[in-house]
Amino acid sequence: MKARILVVDDDEALAEMIGIVLRNDGFEPVFCADGAQALDIFRSSRPDLVLLDLMLPGVDGIEVCRQVRAESDVPIVMLTAKADTSDVVRGLESGADDYVPKPFKPAELVARVRARLRPGDQKAPETLRIADITIDVAGHTVSRGSERISLTPLEFDLLVALARKPWQVFTRELLLEQVWGYRHAADTRLVNVHVQRLRSKIEQDPEAPEVVLTVRGVGYKAGA
Amino acid sequence: MVSATKQGPDPASSEGERRTGVPAQATPGEAAASEQHAVAQPDQEPQHHQTAQHHQAPEHTDAISPGFRKFAFRVRIWQRRAVIVSLRVARLVKTGILRFLPALRYVGRALQKRWRRSLQFRTVLTTLLLAVTSFAVVGAYLSNQIANNLFQERLTQAESETRYNVKQVQETFDGAQVTDQSSVITLVYDTLNAVEGRGSVIQRRYVFEAMPEQTKPRNRWVESRASDQLTVSVIPPELRKAVQESGKDQYWASTVIPVGTEDRPGIAVGNKVTFNGTVYELYLIYDLNTAQQTLDEIQSVLWAGGAVLVLLIGAVAWYVTRNVVSPVSHAAMVSEKLAAGQLQERMVVRGEDEVARLGASFNHMAASLQEQITQLATLSQMQQRFVSDVSHELRTPLTTVRMAAEVLYDARDDFDPINKRSAELLYNQVERFQSLLSDLLEISRFDAGVAVLDAEPEDILQVIAHVIEGASPVAAEYGSEIVLSAPAGAIVVDMDARRIDRILRNLILNAVEHGEGRPVTVTVAASESAVGIAVRDHGIGMEPAEAARVFDRFWRADPARARTTGGSGLGLSIAAEDTKLHNGWLQAWGRKGSGANFRLTLPLRQGEEIGNSPVQLEPEDNITTGEPGSVPREPDTRNILVLETGAARLAPVPTTKENP
Repeated sequence: MKARILVVDDDEALAEMIGIVLRNDGFEPVFCADGAQALDIFRSSRPDLVLLDLMLPGVDGIEVCRQVRAESDVPIVMLTAKADTSDVVRGLESGADDYVPKPFKPAELVARVRARLRPGDQKAPETLRIADITIDVAGHTVSRGSERISLTPLEFDLLVALARKPWQVFTRELLLEQVWGYRHAADTRLVNVHVQRLRSKIEQDPEAPEVVLTVRGVGYKAGA
Repeated sequence: MVSATKQGPDPASSEGERRTGVPAQATPGEAAASEQHAVAQPDQEPQHHQTAQHHQAPEHTDAISPGFRKFAFRVRIWQRRAVIVSLRVARLVKTGILRFLPALRYVGRALQKRWRRSLQFRTVLTTLLLAVTSFAVVGAYLSNQIANNLFQERLTQAESETRYNVKQVQETFDGAQVTDQSSVITLVYDTLNAVEGRGSVIQRRYVFEAMPEQTKPRNRWVESRASDQLTVSVIPPELRKAVQESGKDQYWASTVIPVGTEDRPGIAVGNKVTFNGTVYELYLIYDLNTAQQTLDEIQSVLWAGGAVLVLLIGAVAWYVTRNVVSPVSHAAMVSEKLAAGQLQERMVVRGEDEVARLGASFNHMAASLQEQITQLATLSQMQQRFVSDVSHELRTPLTTVRMAAEVLYDARDDFDPINKRSAELLYNQVERFQSLLSDLLEISRFDAGVAVLDAEPEDILQVIAHVIEGASPVAAEYGSEIVLSAPAGAIVVDMDARRIDRILRNLILNAVEHGEGRPVTVTVAASESAVGIAVRDHGIGMEPAEAARVFDRFWRADPARARTTGGSGLGLSIAAEDTKLHNGWLQAWGRKGSGANFRLTLPLRQGEEIGNSPVQLEPEDNITTGEPGSVPREPDTRNILVLETGAARLAPVPTTKENP
């Protein structure tokens, strides 16, 4: 089955070009040129992944991202022309899983799309624990005691990666490789932002984390 | 203290003489004042009274000795009390000073500081001191004048009264028809009592004394007589001498008379009267107490008025200086706020005076400053906006072009040779165009001042390894190898990994590009405060003058040289800006024929000083190696340009030997 990808971009030429590339690699693209209609088209087309331009007429890409994230865990990859840190961070904080800075190579785009679409390979029943958090890997659920904690697939993958090897300190590069699936990933800010988002959901006190610990100068590791 | 002046019998004719005579020699006010002083604090000047007592004639000693003894006893008690009190006071002062010395020092220092720092305080204090001084001078002069006038008035009165009374007494004596002792005594006593004044009020006192050294007539029954409490000793000897030696002239002197328990200032005016052939000295003594009291009152009013006036002047000075100084200090405060960036801060302007003009022009200055700064800020914002917009507007179509070019490039094997080459050119040039664009945008972001350091502590060795790994394929293309010489473990540096990655990639690719296939050495070393990374190639090298310019935008070592790698010419400029953002140093060294060395030095923790770079800028291999047989040059002092945190400076580098 072909994965369906919703391309939200107001630049028709770029959207068409992305369509060509995606189709070439065996995906089924759906297009939307207006931020205001993005949510409707998202609901009707039920895509497996959203490629979202940050600057859109009508509703701004960040807002679209927030709306989509509010009702779905579908991976969102932002296309951004602004390389400013603040824009990237804002996009990631509004719920995007990843971003591709313009101008990008077709292969780069496809690699990122594939990485986000990667099916959860291990589905064997497996229960992991970090601190007071219980992770049911097969059931894709995280809970503290009886309380369920809702995570996006990316945050879930990040937590599972840390929980599987609680003895290991993960560098940001290693996490990018294992969770995002990049070999030569450019931007470790992705990791920082997502760790912060994960902490805001699973930590009792995000200021004093117990589940995801920072190892200064190296990276992150799971809490005891 | 005591003066006697000859004076003619006619008061009118002697006016001038008296005026010239009295104030010049005697300062009666002072005399009175000091006598009073002596009474008030007898313990301090007991000697004075004792010497005063010496003047009395031996025959009268008995008459006054009880009073004197009482007085001397009192003086001794006072003396003892004074000694005890002064000892106590001294002890109190000593302990007080010891206890309060720190506090006193503190107060002194505070006053000193205030004196230094407050114009108002200084002005008010100076004004007060000057006012006190001038009031003291004027007050002393005034009270002196008043005392003189009061004394003069009383003296004139005393003299005319004396003249009249002496005349009366003489007339009474002359017309007396008494012969027996008792009636003589009665007559003399009655006459003298009449001199004292009518009724209960004593207007004047007298001392009546037979002149010594004269033949004693038979019917001389009255030797001496004086008012209550008085003896002849109150008459100053000089006055007595003057009266005795003159004919019928009247003389005066100031003196001190006992009244009740106190001593009072007085004037004694003396003349001679004759009774029954005996010449008597008759002294009439006038109490100056009322004059003294008036003087005291006037003085106290003067001092009180002076004190009030001084306070008023102080207050006025305070008010005036406050009026002048407060706008100035207000201006200082406002300008400090302005300097701190509160550009909307303004002075309060009231009225049209100089201060208001100062305020108005200050506000004008602040307004134009604010306008310019706002304008600059707006410009900077516009620039930033422009960069951002251009970025977006250019990148979107560029992305499309690039993707299209790549699709064509991937399919180039299906094309005929012409189309294939075109696709390749398109692909390569789009790539180059993109890197140029992103470099330009990066530089303009630095220029707009919007580039921020996103520093986090990370291991720089990982970043270096990552960059070398990425550059290896390029190095392989050039046939050179990248050698890393670094300590084991981790070197954690506060850094923006993205920027450091970019700097190092730039330096290493540059070295590979210019290394002519020879190995490129990356040396890493750390000290306690800094980490140094040197990237050394052994390629064609460059002249020191060229090393000075490598960080200039679009600068190329050899303009004629083919642009094989298609770099934008902005790489090192961006690296320099990135380094500057990290408060680090980026320096270049080069020698024609012996390659180049680029050194990046970063502080381990942001906000700390680098001190010394842990790696050398001038490579050791260059210093020690030399072709055999080559003639070592004279050590020269050529300068090489060193770029530190973006600012160029010349540093003399002593060179020992050099490859020919």
